[in-house]
Amino acid sequence: CPAHFPLLRHHGPSARASPPLAPEVPNFCIKIERSQPAESMALKQISSNKCFEGFQKVFEHDSIELKCKMRFGIYLPPKAEIGKCPVLYWLSGLTCTEQNFITKSGFHQAAAEHGLIVVAPDTSPRGCNIEGEDESWDFGTGAGFYVDATEEPWKTNYRMYSYIKDELPKLIKANFPADSERMSVFGHSMGGHGALILALKNPGKYKSVSAFAPICNPVQCPWGKKAFGGYLGSDLTKWEAYDATHLVKSYPDSHLDILIDQGKDDQFLSAGQLLPDNFIAACTERKIPVVFRLEPGYDHSYFFIATFVNDHIRHHAKYLNA
Amino acid sequence: MENEFVFSSDTAALDPATDPSASMMFPESNENEPEGLTFYHMDLYDSKGRLEIFPEEPAGRGDGALGETSKEPTGPGEDYRSSDQSAYDLEKEVDELTKLYGLDEDKEIEQELLGGNIATAGILESKETPAHKEGVAAGSYGSIYNAPKSSSPVNGSQHKTDMESTEEQELPCKDSQDESQHLNNVTASDELHNHAHSEEELGSDGRQDEQSIQPNSEEEAADIYCATCKIPIRAFDKLFGDHKDHEVTQLANAVESAKEEIQKNMCKLEEQVTEMENFSSHLEEIFITVEENFGRQEQNFEMHYNEVMQTLTQRYEEKVDGLGEEKKQKLEALYGQLVSCGENLDTCKELMETIQELCKDKEKADFIKAAVPVVDRLGEFFKKDMDLELSTLPDFEDTVIDFSDVQQLIDSINTIAAPSAPVINPQAPNSATGTSVRVCWGLFSDDTVEFYQLYYKQVSDDTPSEEQAELMLKVKETYCMVTNLMPNTQYEFWVSALNTAGVSPVSERAVYVTAPSPPIIKRKESRSCENAALVCWESGNMNPVDSYTVELSKLTNGENGDIITESIVGIPNCEALIQLEPGQSYIISVRAVNMGGPSERSEPVSIHTTGTYFYLNEDTAHPLLSVLEDGLTIACSEVENLECDLAFRDNGFTRCIAILGSMIPFQGKHYWEVEVDENMEYRVGVAFENTHRHGYLGANSSSWCMRHIVTPARHKYEFLHCGTTPDIRITVPPKRIGILLDYDNWKLSFFNLDIAQHLYTFNSHFQHYVHPCFALEKPGFLRIRNGIAMPTSITLL
Repeated sequence: CPAHFPLLRHHGPSARASPPLAPEVPNFCIKIERSQPAESMALKQISSNKCFEGFQKVFEHDSIELKCKMRFGIYLPPKAEIGKCPVLYWLSGLTCTEQNFITKSGFHQAAAEHGLIVVAPDTSPRGCNIEGEDESWDFGTGAGFYVDATEEPWKTNYRMYSYIKDELPKLIKANFPADSERMSVFGHSMGGHGALILALKNPGKYKSVSAFAPICNPVQCPWGKKAFGGYLGSDLTKWEAYDATHLVKSYPDSHLDILIDQGKDDQFLSAGQLLPDNFIAACTERKIPVVFRLEPGYDHSYFFIATFVNDHIRHHAKYLNA
Repeated sequence: MENEFVFSSDTAALDPATDPSASMMFPESNENEPEGLTFYHMDLYDSKGRLEIFPEEPAGRGDGALGETSKEPTGPGEDYRSSDQSAYDLEKEVDELTKLYGLDEDKEIEQELLGGNIATAGILESKETPAHKEGVAAGSYGSIYNAPKSSSPVNGSQHKTDMESTEEQELPCKDSQDESQHLNNVTASDELHNHAHSEEELGSDGRQDEQSIQPNSEEEAADIYCATCKIPIRAFDKLFGDHKDHEVTQLANAVESAKEEIQKNMCKLEEQVTEMENFSSHLEEIFITVEENFGRQEQNFEMHYNEVMQTLTQRYEEKVDGLGEEKKQKLEALYGQLVSCGENLDTCKELMETIQELCKDKEKADFIKAAVPVVDRLGEFFKKDMDLELSTLPDFEDTVIDFSDVQQLIDSINTIAAPSAPVINPQAPNSATGTSVRVCWGLFSDDTVEFYQLYYKQVSDDTPSEEQAELMLKVKETYCMVTNLMPNTQYEFWVSALNTAGVSPVSERAVYVTAPSPPIIKRKESRSCENAALVCWESGNMNPVDSYTVELSKLTNGENGDIITESIVGIPNCEALIQLEPGQSYIISVRAVNMGGPSERSEPVSIHTTGTYFYLNEDTAHPLLSVLEDGLTIACSEVENLECDLAFRDNGFTRCIAILGSMIPFQGKHYWEVEVDENMEYRVGVAFENTHRHGYLGANSSSWCMRHIVTPARHKYEFLHCGTTPDIRITVPPKRIGILLDYDNWKLSFFNLDIAQHLYTFNSHFQHYVHPCFALEKPGFLRIRNGIAMPTSITLL
């Protein structure tokens, strides 16, 4: 980058960041980053649709972490055309792809208003030809559980935790007008679990976190037991490192405002898959701020998400735009 | 005496700059004082003898001596001295010393005398010096002036002019000894200077030294001021002289105070000048007035005298006519008498003739015959009465002329008519204060009025007006400031004019009203928000006033609120909602206004448009709830069921231990905070003013609140409206709750301020203005903070 800057220096050495420069930054950076073949491969745009003056796009790229082609949806708000925007990562639940959230939740208007880039990745590696990966809907494909697998045959590809935490942000930063200093994460169900553990395992990395009907205590629930057992083996301490309720107990006392919405008529709540009470109890004990809203009548669907997604976007915007 | 002269002239010598300021002179003079003392006496005793020979000095000689001696103290003289180490000079001086010794002494004296003129004069005036000294001084005074003058032609005009200038300068300055001495020194030295060049006759070195010491030793200008004698004296005199026991001050100080005194007098004079100028212009006006008055009076006299003259002429003519008529009547009567008298006479004559005729007839019968008718006629004639009385008298009646009416007329010249009734004016706007009104009236220009009688009494609706005391003022002018009245009260005024001739009828009655008393701002009830303030006040007046005026001044950095930046007039009620700018401080005061004018300003109230400021309406408080002194802390000491006792309470909550705040009815955002104990049970939120007093907050459609209760399991937070709450779990119990009421977006939000956590937001279209409400469900207290800016963490939401 610096090689190109002298042209702009006529503004004077001590001139404050010159406004006309800002819009050029994104395009400019994209070019440069692409010329560096080191880590990230070229992005392939799959789709682009104008939405609330911004663009909802889907890209495909070769993931180094997951060693497969991965797709992600990204919403670029109108504000992204004139400057860097904070990024909000959405983590979907079991069986979902990048499409579910961007097509069903209706988050675009709020994101456009608050000027947030919203990135919605896929939920697991795909097409890795691992035996049994497509056998069940709650394990393997579409059920990455946002952990770095340690067990064979999963450990080569199923590294969703590192993918979400490191590779994807790097990719986003390199290719889009994203402010890497300002990011937050939220998700639904398994994605809610992913959001919580990402926030709790990386204090300060995410400005805020929220979740819809998250799997709060996977160590204790059937889904979690199955997935963790498969990806992490039988060592319970490894499990606990990806369990939000356990992570809360060791979370350093730093500010993290957690918003959780839970449908009261969610069949997985009554099935004991989500266990929010355990998480709330742990947070109450550790004085981690949580507002947990039990929404009567709502189930586990995207209709529930669509109902409260604006609250969540606003919740994150409050911290991301602070 | 003389040594003073030496001293004074030498002052200049020592200080060629001729600035004999005390500071310069003091050290030397003090040092040399003892020497001066001895020299003084010596000189004093010698002086007389020398003086005797002085006038006999040849002019030239004296002049020379004068020049020589006077040269000594000058600057050039000093220069010379400094360089006169040469033997020649020494020799010469020795020679001259021997040659001129006697004369030199005289010269010295002469010079001394010259230099000391002023000092002498000054001392003479002071009458302090002994008589013989005066004599000497006087003598020397005269002689010294003679001598130089006579010598002047010899020595040339230069000297003469010098002398003359000396003289000129000296004379007018005698009064001010201080200055004159100074001047004298200057002139003396100037003069000496000239002589130093014109004549090479120098005094001996030794003598010079001696002299330079002598003067030095004597050198001591009057440096202090004797307050007792009012003259400047030397410090020496204070110590040893006549002023020993007198009060003294530094001369400089004395001069200062004298100058001040003069300055003061100057001011006084200036004042007098102005006064006189004013008076003279006034006199001019008076001249004109006299002219006018004269004209009027003259006209008046002319009119009246003409009237009297006419009347007199008329009366005279009447009288004279009457007299003529009487005369005619008299004359006619007399003439009639005269005529009848003549007729009678004729008849007598005829009868006598007839008788004589008869007597001539000698015939008896004939005679008898003829005599009978004659006798008959005679008898008939005598029968007739001979009226010889005057039918009328020659005298005219003595008529007394009645002058009474004329007298009246004459009297009327001196007196004037009683004035007619004055016309009272209606009250002029803004002419009244709370305790006074300015009443005006007019007179007819012809009237002469000595003074007016202004009557007034209070107009009262309650009591018949007769009962009100009627007061009267005597006024010379056609207006009167009537004071000591009651504020905002109607008074009836009427006026009559008086002069020597009498009293006029009274004027019409006019009603005047005094300005109202200032209103009293209800400080406690004043509320504000970022953009407005609601100020309430009490009228402060028994009777209604027309309107109120609110005056506000915005306080800018460090400036006081004396400058009214805005006024809102014509406010009919005792409250005003004033739009303001956010984040400012204002001083707001109110005036009541009626026809008479505005009242004084009320005590001001200061308003800060930072955040929303409300107060707790204690009327609404549950009996178990108390508001502490700060007005914003509510406390509850026990929770009992008092319901049975509370049936008759008007406006207070009866079931819920609650209180309502009074917030400004203004759209926009309002923010306040509540500080609570973690385990306190409370309800905080908003409610309509008329929310059910018998219900619980949040249990109805007229209130919205956040409720905290402690269950065995956890802290339970409810966000109640119409008795329902969303199921919300909060992991960190808030201690500081921020409440944001946003009319613009129809929202009521609650925050945990310590961690900037959004807790809940009601979305509700408030049909009316709501007020903050607070309730306690457990003994304890709850602190409200308002009038604070919204934290930025909240503004983002």
